[in-house]
Amino acid sequence: MNDAELALVPIFLPLVGAAMALVAKSLSEGRASRILETSGAVVGLALPWAALAGLLPAVMAGGVSFTVSGWAPAIGIAERFDGLAWLVDALGFAGAGAAYLYSRGNGPKGPVFTAIFLVQTSALAATASTADLFNLFVCLEVLGLSSYVLVASSQKPGAFLAAFSYLTVSSAAMVFFLIGLFGLYRLTGSLSYEGIEAGLSALADGGGATASLSSACIVAAIAIRVAVMPVYGWLPDAHAMAPHAVSAVLSGVLIKTPLFALGRLLGFLPTGHQAMALVGTAGVVTALVAVIVALSQKDAKRLLAYHSISQVGYIVAAWGLGTAEGLNAAYMHALFHALFKGLLFLSVGTVTDAAGNRNVYTLRNATAALRLSGDRRLTVAAAYAVGALSICAIPPFNGFASKNAIAYLFKGGWEYWALFAAGVCTIASFMKLSMIYLPPRRPVAGPDEATAETQIAVAAYRISLSMKTAMLALALLCIATGLFYGKLNGFAATLLGTAPKVGAGTLYGSSELAKTGISLVLGAALFLFAVSKPGKAAAALVRSRPRSYAGLVLAFVSGLAALGARLVLFP
Amino acid sequence: MIARSLILCLFITGLVGLTTRRNLVKKAYALSIMNSAVVLLFVLEGSGIGDKAPLLGGSPGVFVDPVPQALMLTAIVVGVCVSALALTIAYRLHRIYGTLDADELKRLVGHE
Repeated sequence: MNDAELALVPIFLPLVGAAMALVAKSLSEGRASRILETSGAVVGLALPWAALAGLLPAVMAGGVSFTVSGWAPAIGIAERFDGLAWLVDALGFAGAGAAYLYSRGNGPKGPVFTAIFLVQTSALAATASTADLFNLFVCLEVLGLSSYVLVASSQKPGAFLAAFSYLTVSSAAMVFFLIGLFGLYRLTGSLSYEGIEAGLSALADGGGATASLSSACIVAAIAIRVAVMPVYGWLPDAHAMAPHAVSAVLSGVLIKTPLFALGRLLGFLPTGHQAMALVGTAGVVTALVAVIVALSQKDAKRLLAYHSISQVGYIVAAWGLGTAEGLNAAYMHALFHALFKGLLFLSVGTVTDAAGNRNVYTLRNATAALRLSGDRRLTVAAAYAVGALSICAIPPFNGFASKNAIAYLFKGGWEYWALFAAGVCTIASFMKLSMIYLPPRRPVAGPDEATAETQIAVAAYRISLSMKTAMLALALLCIATGLFYGKLNGFAATLLGTAPKVGAGTLYGSSELAKTGISLVLGAALFLFAVSKPGKAAAALVRSRPRSYAGLVLAFVSGLAALGARLVLFP
Repeated sequence: MIARSLILCLFITGLVGLTTRRNLVKKAYALSIMNSAVVLLFVLEGSGIGDKAPLLGGSPGVFVDPVPQALMLTAIVVGVCVSALALTIAYRLHRIYGTLDADELKRLVGHE
């Protein structure tokens, strides 16, 4: 098997696994069916690691470019498997593997879920390595379709409505993607990134306004998937309503893969750099605004969902610099965010299920609920603590290194202070979320607890071994990646073809530690305000801001118009 | 030019319908209309070059550009999947709440 064939293996193995899971469904329920389903999951989620290991030498040597099945470049599907694709694949399979392990304990279960989960994983791998515009369209649609189904698979009515909004908005955006694709194809007669680049540079004005508007359509359509301001509105409902394992993958992996795929494309477009810079600025704003909204939430998982938007803002900000160092920092934070946010979704989801209450203001004494559900050693609480300390950028956990590496890139600019403020809000809102572990203030049950139905569900809830294993694995990875940041960053930098600019020594310098201390103090002050009476009133005000479907479409159209105007008027 | 204007009208019809209609089934159809408009655009532009079927070893002449048609076959398939899934979700919501009105559903679900 040559490298070009091997590079397709991470895409095909999950599909083989999905087929096995579907065959398992056609068998009568029983041992054979379960074994086949589990082996399908192993084939789809574990075996690709072997292919990735086999690809490492080729990737180190600069990567492989090829067309699928060796068709002529003009009509074949161009693929590029380089360091970026390898890293994004590694992120995807790590996040998906841990989440799937958790789903074995907590559901959703069954061969259909396994099959769709694996199809989504396959689409993730395909998105990471595509170098063909139409193939990117298909990958994003498959990614989208599988995730709409997975969001709805929690069977809660809210999840259906969230899936519907997510579906209509992102499909509408994909129609704009097609229009952009049409524009570029008409100008260049090519669909591969390299062909488009060659075609555009052969034109006198580099494609002019048509090329700029087409790029804007494509960027805006992908920005919706990444949930950058102003097109983030679909995410909180979808991520909060999905089953915990699916939330972990959606937040950890699914919103970043399209971003890195877009970065690959923009490298070939004449106005790509400007588009990246604009989206990057939107990312800084996103990081700050989303975390303020997160601080005002009362539903635990919705709070986490807003944090995902905020953290992706960090990633987009570093990515938007368009430099290899920026990409390196963005990837490291994307990877670490996949680990700690996956961990947070799983642990917080487990706690709220065990207690039968998701309201941050009324849920107290969560450790008692965990003990009742069979977690006597409080593994879940410890896992939560690791995740929370990581996202708050407390050394030596991984978030500290990656967030500071991003901040370092912006030293001296307004972005630095915006990200600093976002960090303070993050600390405050995780202090607020951690209140669920406090002892109860008064022995009466809150108003939205204790319907008979939830009491029965809570009594039957058990935290299984696979759930604990998934959380422990993620927690250990959060600590290990934090401790060995220097080595890991060096490895990622080599794969991305750059030298690590910020050493671990700089990151643990006295000024960085002092900054962490100041953030903690300010965060604590903000937390005290947030739980005070005026703070709660302000939070309720933020929560009650009008959010409508039409507003979401309007945000998309205005974002697209702004981007188009920027690219056409100031090329 | 007329064909293009009509396609634009079709597209805007879909976009407006998607944004302003509250009925979930109408939203699903509006999405489908938008998709169809783009499919028509591709096919129209692809046919502008020639009118012969692009067969290897076929009669000489100017061929239709086959790539847009191939792309649109895929786009249509994707569009059907999206419509089917949207209608399925709308049906499930209707079974639970007995309404297809998006605002009403939002109130019933209690999203903040």
